[in-house]
Amino acid sequence: MKACLSFSDILEVGQPRITEMERIGNSFPNGDSAEACTAFTHQVGVVEGTVMHTYSIAATLARKADDINEVAEVWKRMSQFCQSALEVLLRLKDKYLFCGTPQLYDLVLDYKLAADKRMRGAIEEAQCRTKDFPKELLPELS
Amino acid sequence: MPDEGLPEGIVTRTELAELAGLFDQFEFAFDPFSLSAREAESRFDDLTRALFDNKVALAFPGVDYALFYCRVRFACRIYLRKNSPS
Repeated sequence: MKACLSFSDILEVGQPRITEMERIGNSFPNGDSAEACTAFTHQVGVVEGTVMHTYSIAATLARKADDINEVAEVWKRMSQFCQSALEVLLRLKDKYLFCGTPQLYDLVLDYKLAADKRMRGAIEEAQCRTKDFPKELLPELS
Repeated sequence: MPDEGLPEGIVTRTELAELAGLFDQFEFAFDPFSLSAREAESRFDDLTRALFDNKVALAFPGVDYALFYCRVRFACRIYLRKNSPS
């Protein structure tokens, strides 16, 4: 089987999980009931797994990319994916304060910052390649 | 070894290989907050700093640490791409 998925495809698979978390979160008047918290906690677990899995795919793609600008783009898209989850979590974390929501918010924020750091590193590498640098400093690679 | 016969640098191919291994462990870690990833990044930074202080700073005063660090990171990416098992 030779079918391939792009990172956009992967992100499209993940985005509905965030949308579903928001839908479930909004479907209860408050997060105090056991039913609401149980339902929302399940969504928290799904989104947590999605963010971690998507990050690991981003890392794999960044390692294989031929072009440093492509690396920066992968991490930028990963950061945006985290941001979309953070925006939903920000709206719901006080409502579902004891359902794992603040912890997920912190985790997703950490992953966003990790993606941002790698994006900045790639952009800096693209820029520093244009500066004068003695050829003899680093070994020549085939 | 694919780079055999190519010119060495002030930073040797062996040193670059070590740096690339560390870079791989933190830059592409599936869990970027793991102890192993954080330790690898710390060792990478220490080793890069030591190479700069001991081999580069005096011989190449026009090269600052930020540029050296950036070029080492980029060289590590290329090294890993060329030396990855397919």
